[in-house]
Amino acid sequence: MIELKNMSVNLGIFSAVRGVDLVIKPGDRIGVVGESGCGKSMLALSIMGMVPDALSTVGSLIVDGQELIDAPESTWTAHRARTMSMIFQEPMAALNPLRRIGDIVAEPLLVHDGLGKSAARARVIDLFTEVGIPQPELRLRQYPHELSGGQRQRVLIALALACNPRLLIADEPTTALDANVALRITDLLVELAQERNMALLFISHDLGAVSRATRDILVMYGGDIVERGTTQQVLQEPAHPYTQGLIAARPQISQTATRRKRLPTIAGSVPALINLPKGCRFSGRCPRELAKCASTRPRAVTTDQGSTVMCHLFEGGTAQ
Amino acid sequence: MGYFLFRRTVGLFLTLFAVSIVVFASMNVLPGDPAITILGIESTEDARAVLREQLGLDEPVLGQYFAWIFNALQGDFGVSYSYGVPVSELIGERIPMTLSLAFSGMALTTTLALFLGISAASYHKKPGDWGVMLLSQLGIAIPAFWLSMLLVLLFAVKLRWLPPGGFPGWDEPLSAMRSLILPTVALALVQSAVLARVTRSSALEVIRLDFVRTARASGFSKSRVLWRHVLPNALIPIVTIVGLQFAALVSGTIVIENVFYLPGLGRLIFQSISNRDLFTVQALVMMFAIIVVLANFLVDIAYVLIDPRLKGRSN
Amino acid sequence: MTLRQLPANLIIGAILVILVLGVALLSTIWTPYDHAALSISNKFQGPSFAHLLGTDQLGRDVVSQLMVAAGNSMVVAVTAVFIGGTIGTMLGLLASAKGGWVEDLVMRLSDLGFAFPALLFAIMLAAAFGPSLPNVVIAIAFINIPVFARVSRASANQIWTREYVFAARAAGLGKIAISRDHILPNIAAPVIVQATIEFALAILIEAALSYLGLGAQPPSPSWGRMLSEAQTLMYLAPQLAVYPGLAIVTAVLGFGLLGDGLRDISDPRLARER
Repeated sequence: MIELKNMSVNLGIFSAVRGVDLVIKPGDRIGVVGESGCGKSMLALSIMGMVPDALSTVGSLIVDGQELIDAPESTWTAHRARTMSMIFQEPMAALNPLRRIGDIVAEPLLVHDGLGKSAARARVIDLFTEVGIPQPELRLRQYPHELSGGQRQRVLIALALACNPRLLIADEPTTALDANVALRITDLLVELAQERNMALLFISHDLGAVSRATRDILVMYGGDIVERGTTQQVLQEPAHPYTQGLIAARPQISQTATRRKRLPTIAGSVPALINLPKGCRFSGRCPRELAKCASTRPRAVTTDQGSTVMCHLFEGGTAQ
Repeated sequence: MGYFLFRRTVGLFLTLFAVSIVVFASMNVLPGDPAITILGIESTEDARAVLREQLGLDEPVLGQYFAWIFNALQGDFGVSYSYGVPVSELIGERIPMTLSLAFSGMALTTTLALFLGISAASYHKKPGDWGVMLLSQLGIAIPAFWLSMLLVLLFAVKLRWLPPGGFPGWDEPLSAMRSLILPTVALALVQSAVLARVTRSSALEVIRLDFVRTARASGFSKSRVLWRHVLPNALIPIVTIVGLQFAALVSGTIVIENVFYLPGLGRLIFQSISNRDLFTVQALVMMFAIIVVLANFLVDIAYVLIDPRLKGRSN
Repeated sequence: MTLRQLPANLIIGAILVILVLGVALLSTIWTPYDHAALSISNKFQGPSFAHLLGTDQLGRDVVSQLMVAAGNSMVVAVTAVFIGGTIGTMLGLLASAKGGWVEDLVMRLSDLGFAFPALLFAIMLAAAFGPSLPNVVIAIAFINIPVFARVSRASANQIWTREYVFAARAAGLGKIAISRDHILPNIAAPVIVQATIEFALAILIEAALSYLGLGAQPPSPSWGRMLSEAQTLMYLAPQLAVYPGLAIVTAVLGFGLLGDGLRDISDPRLARER
């Protein structure tokens, strides 16, 4: 359905996303994890055709057999909402504050599906029910600032689902929410994806949410997909040193509750785009760095366990 | 909302009261004898005394003020010294002219400004943006009356498409509209230059907000996103300026009516000054000030209508 | 900051302003002809070496008139903005220093001031005292008071929260002394920027008022009156309606751009948006 081949997002000579290959099929639930600034959101925006003007997208991005890499805005607007749709991190900011939520969700129905006012209204009520907004008839006339954070995110999901997209991209959908609300939103997304046979690209730095929501996972660092595989495999037996660091740095309830052990962290922080190393992006922060890492970009290698790793340590077959 | 309206309305009346004092004071209390102003320095003291008595100027100032207000509230602004008819009658005859000019000017101003400002914002940092900014910078520097003269030179003197001035009255709607074209354009071009800048910078603020991204992700066309999502959110500063501009526009009609010889309030006020017709000037200045204050009052109300979030706060 | 880094509007504005001010200054010591000298036999001459922009309906030299008018226009703008700016800034400082009901009163009064467009106020004065140039100055100064009161109060309120002001208060300095020694120097930048922009507006208003006959009285030339005289001669000598207008645009554009440019360099946050 959607296929990225060697696709990069460049700012001048620098890459925010570097040579990514990715296939998304109906019903796929793919998680994308990594620290802030590792290219997750840029990858999502490129699939929506919404990369900021200053950046350019190169390589191949095929949607339903059609090459869209240099497609004009009008081609993209025809796909958005109907082929792919997206929800964002900050649900308050992502909703137009001057409009009633009923009108917000009805707009794509009126514009894209050509529904009449009353038909659109009925459809909005259905959508609100589907995403779990109680008393939808009463809510229609409310403004975003009158809702709770979780309700706003549900409205945003209803809006994204209005025209039955085949891919829903959720960019950090739960980051701004309370923990238990976040859980329910995560489950709702999974449920909706299964019911509608809709693909879900779930971007998050919350490994718990990702493991709950997705079957497959991409670990991104510095614009590269450094490791990919089934969610279960990658999270249980991480191969790439970066993935291992990510998982080790994750707080565990048992740990924090009993012993106040200091949380292991990955040394340093994600370098700015212009300071990224040429070879493996993780070199410089990697605890198991080899001599060639900084200069040579590793190939993607499939491990015995079935995940794919981009790391010199695995180029001989298994970890050395 | 009810309390908010109440507070604003009380504020409105207090302002109008203060305005009336300023107008009255500057005409009557400031050093200067209206009788001399009207009759000229060469007049005899006897003639001045008679006139003062006629005009009620020999009474205590406070009494004069309250008499003026009391009568004005009943629509009686006194009798025009130079025309010999009630001032209210003079105003009634001319007000349609001025209001048609002001409203058509405002309509053209807003349309032009929103279009230019939003286009400039959507082409931010590209040639289209620079072009609009350059034009508006120039537009702000051009005096409306000079622009009027240039328009007359081109369209009336050279091309002879439109009349150079005058107004036939609304009994002939077509030629009335024709004679309103140039004055309207002259009024609107300059004002829209200011408003276009405000629109542009306000739209640029909004364009970066997250919900604009949501709208784009919903597959709406660029123009729909700009006009239906960005513009309404950019309106608050725009409406503020529109309110101020309506004031500028109304006082602009004074100049424009004189350039095009249009029989409206602006020309009347000007003729009244030449005729030293104090009561008429006083009434007209008060009228104009009321229009300005009212426009700002309406802007305050408009804020709440535009932004539902303000409703809770203002109560 | 080198010349190259200065914003374009500042440079262009400065050039235009220097041009206009230069001409205005020059006119006080030298003009090609006496601006008021009549020469009916020479009326309506086209541009020539003798009269660079030709002559008007009374045979007066247009260049000389434009130059003297520039001087008049600058004098009106400088005086009016200076008076209005000084009173307004003092009121703003007072409001900010005193706070409470004083601040409220000053702000409400400045609201009131906004109810009177300059034109209206000048008309009122002209009706009461007869038209004259001082009335124009008073009217423009008057409408500038609330503008400067607002700008200076808003800026001053920010300065009052600074550490060095607290230090000065702790040292026992009175509010008046602090306003003079610490607040005023620190709000000078926004006030000067505002003054430059108000200058441009003052030139426009002066032109409109003298166009209406409420400003400078003959024989003292002004751009506005030159235009009103040219209007009656539009079919005979359309060029006379062009030069004074260009002069006004040059002056207003110059001060407007200069003001924008000054604001850009004094507040870089705004500059990025423009």
